[in-house]
Amino acid sequence: MATQENKDDRIALLQGTLDLLILKTLVLGPSHGQGVARLIQRQSEDVFLVDHGSLYIALQRLEDKKWIRAKWGLSENNRKARFYSLTPSGRAQLAEKAGEWQRLTRAMGLILNAGQGMQGEEA
Amino acid sequence: MFKQKRSAEDFAEEIKAHLELEADDLKSDGLSDDEARRKARSEFGNVRAAQERFYLKGRWMALDKLLRNLRFGLRSLRHSPGFAATAILTLALGIGANTAVFSVMNAVLLKSLPVSDPDRLVYLRTSNAPPGTGTIDSNQTFSYAVYDALRQHGGALSPLMAFVPLSGSKVAVRYGAQPEEAEGDMVSGAFFSGLGVNLPLGRGFSDQDETDHAPIAVISYNYWTRRFARTPDVLGKTLFVNGVPVTIVGVSAEGFEGVEGSGSTDFWIPLQSRRELNAWGNPLEDGKTYIADPKWWCLRMIGRLAPGVGRAQAVAQLQPVFQAAALAIAGGMPMAGEKPPVLSLADAKSFPGYDTQYGSPLRILMAMVGLVLLIALANVVMLLTARNAARQREFSVRQALGAGRGELLRQLLTESVILVSVGGALAWGFAEMATRMLGQWAQIESSLAPDRTVLLFTLGVLMVAGVLFGLAPMRVALAGGATLALKTSAATSNTDAGKSSTGRIIVTLQLAMCVVLLVGAGLLLRTLRNLENTPLGMNVDGLVVFGVKPDIPSIPQGRAFYQNLIGKLRVLPGVESVTVSEERLGAGWSDNSDMMVDGRLPQVANGGSRTVRSNVAGPGFFSTLGVPVLAGRDFADSDTASSPHAGIINEQFAQRFLPNMNPLGHTIGPDNGQYTMTIVGVVKDHKYRSIDEAPIPMAWYEYAQIPMSGPMTVEMRVHGDPLAILPAARKAVQQLDPNLPLIQPITQRAQFDTTISQHILFARLAGFFGFLAVVLVATGLYGTLSYRVNMRTAEIGVRMAVGARRGQVVWMILKDSLLLTTVGLVIGIPLAMLVGRALTSSLFGVKPLDAVTYLLAIASVALVALAASAVPAARAASVDPMRALRTE
Repeated sequence: MATQENKDDRIALLQGTLDLLILKTLVLGPSHGQGVARLIQRQSEDVFLVDHGSLYIALQRLEDKKWIRAKWGLSENNRKARFYSLTPSGRAQLAEKAGEWQRLTRAMGLILNAGQGMQGEEA
Repeated sequence: MFKQKRSAEDFAEEIKAHLELEADDLKSDGLSDDEARRKARSEFGNVRAAQERFYLKGRWMALDKLLRNLRFGLRSLRHSPGFAATAILTLALGIGANTAVFSVMNAVLLKSLPVSDPDRLVYLRTSNAPPGTGTIDSNQTFSYAVYDALRQHGGALSPLMAFVPLSGSKVAVRYGAQPEEAEGDMVSGAFFSGLGVNLPLGRGFSDQDETDHAPIAVISYNYWTRRFARTPDVLGKTLFVNGVPVTIVGVSAEGFEGVEGSGSTDFWIPLQSRRELNAWGNPLEDGKTYIADPKWWCLRMIGRLAPGVGRAQAVAQLQPVFQAAALAIAGGMPMAGEKPPVLSLADAKSFPGYDTQYGSPLRILMAMVGLVLLIALANVVMLLTARNAARQREFSVRQALGAGRGELLRQLLTESVILVSVGGALAWGFAEMATRMLGQWAQIESSLAPDRTVLLFTLGVLMVAGVLFGLAPMRVALAGGATLALKTSAATSNTDAGKSSTGRIIVTLQLAMCVVLLVGAGLLLRTLRNLENTPLGMNVDGLVVFGVKPDIPSIPQGRAFYQNLIGKLRVLPGVESVTVSEERLGAGWSDNSDMMVDGRLPQVANGGSRTVRSNVAGPGFFSTLGVPVLAGRDFADSDTASSPHAGIINEQFAQRFLPNMNPLGHTIGPDNGQYTMTIVGVVKDHKYRSIDEAPIPMAWYEYAQIPMSGPMTVEMRVHGDPLAILPAARKAVQQLDPNLPLIQPITQRAQFDTTISQHILFARLAGFFGFLAVVLVATGLYGTLSYRVNMRTAEIGVRMAVGARRGQVVWMILKDSLLLTTVGLVIGIPLAMLVGRALTSSLFGVKPLDAVTYLLAIASVALVALAASAVPAARAASVDPMRALRTE
């Protein structure tokens, strides 16, 4: 539906997946928004393209839901930045969403790989 | 939704930090300072948009949604301006008419007297007045002696208050130099304290004031405003009432306009005992005022039930006192065969007299506007349903795309709220105007301004309308669900909606209600036409009439005054003739009594009534009025106090009491035998008291011959505009007495019209509502039918493609509306007959089952149905089969 192919093989994020990715990133420890964006991009081997505007709105949304919390601090290179960290309910949410997602991808994989073993483009 | 912990500045700060961090990262990847910064910014995208999204997301989310809904609603209404205008106007008219009639009903029938604890107030009533008494109202008025006896007894009713007007209409009042008229009452000392009326300025009366007949007055808030511009100096000012000076001592509470019927009292004075201030402005009877005359039952009474006393208890306690006092005039014993009068108590919490006067017409009007409102609401619901059914695919698509039902519901409700708010605002304006007009026509002087009850009523109606409009179409709109979007053809998807039978039922009921309204309106309009075309039996064009009430103690002086006045008026330029009479024609009053004919009470065949109406008239009375004299002569200047007593009768008198003989030369007179006169003329029957009366026997006395000196009515026949003579006439009257105003100057035509003003108002309103109903039903029918035709375009295309002729298609559409009309008529006509029966008392010269009215109503409804179907039918016939099929 909302996926679209980019000329350099990067894929805009599926709706709803950004939240999950943010939560997952923050499991590794507190980070600022730019760090989250960088990490998502790097860990997906530059396949996912994160729209920065949407990222900050998503961060705010998660904060409003009390899944993450934020405070201002200093980055490694001494710049002022807003650091986000997971809350306990955020962790619980991550576990649930990740489980859902894995079931979904497994099911998708089963269907797409059935028969002639055709390969899906998301591989 | 409005909680927002983070400021937009903080968010902007974060984005700035992001851009710097990104630039740092890019620099470490080997980019130059400038390049890194540019790339960071370009990768971020639109910073301002992100900030805006943050902003909206937070603080303004809810409001934004509402605004978006509103904007969306307005936009979608603007796309169909015809629909929006029709719906809004329909609502405005329907609700406005209801608000207007309801505010009149509220003010007249529902509002309580503005007094404290009105539930404990009662009017005193009597089953009848004892024989030999004169009354104002045989059930509602009492003599001073009865009042005094009941008051002395006290007990159950404490206090007991009497009140009586100083005149049947208005009384002459002078403040400063200019004489004018006002409505004044004489009341008990306990009047204000007993009713519990506040006096924002000054004081009320005391029992001592009543005993002393103190020359003081309390004026109404209204009069204070109108005449004295609410100056507080009004206390201590002198008002000359019929020339008697009284001092203003107080102003009554705002909204209190007395306890008289439809009028609004301007001032009150304590009960007086003097010739100039007799009850009802009557001249003295045998030299006695109302206080000394136990045979004149002229006072109304209102009382407050003592604490803990019920109504039945109060009646039981007072009955013997009342009957003893009532019978005291007849020697304490009822005459043989006479029942003693019985006292009873009636509710006094609402305005007296209003219910009998306006109750039934107002209730019928309220029912009529209620029907109009139902038709209007049904119309808008149908319009909305049709419109939303046509949008069914839009809704389905939106549901399929993930819009929640809640979202759609909110949107539909928003649209209906827009319609209802605009319609409601218009309705309120319309109602204010209509109420003012209603008040003027009905000559209701008490305040009709809409109060909180009216506002609540209107808001209630609006709220019901709003929810109804939001929910009713919802069913159709959502019926399709998301699956409907999968159906590929508009033709197939819309046929489901086209079959909805709700619309047919509503249209049928509307047609039925329309018949009812049209029959009601038709009957009343025919009544009005009958009344307006009723010959008066005289020539009223060019006639003007006014009253004068000179303060004259003796009969010869009175005679001289009127002779003088007639002389002065006759010589005014443009005046053709002038005469006087005691009673004003067309004022609703008459003086009825038995009369002697040739020295004895006449025997009437078949037990017919012996009642004769009499009046006292001046020279040239009938020639001035234009009433033909059939035999003998008119009164003339040559009839004087010393010439033989002359009397004139009408045809009815001659036929009933002097049948088959020449009435001239016979003698007649009042039943006490104290005065006899010889019949010198017979005049043609004419309207006397009101337009809607049947002729009854009448006799006229000559004013110079019968002993009288009281107020008279002057009739003038003039060339040109009758009212233009009034300033000159006023000057002539004031040359004789500077205290005298012209009392109720009016043309004779207008005077007669006052007796049918209520009919006129009633008929006009009913006609208007009938017309409104027709227009609404026509639009509703048109809307529904054209919607159905639209829905069936594809079907019609198919039919025509397989060989149906245009005529067949037209017939298919017309057949549908003819069926609805027939069913509507079958339901409506019996209902209309019920309404006709309820209207019987308001009809004149037309039967409740008047065939012409019914035929006209049926024809109008059929015509409206046909006209409303014609356009859609024509459109159906012009469907191009190929295009209809190809549109998909």
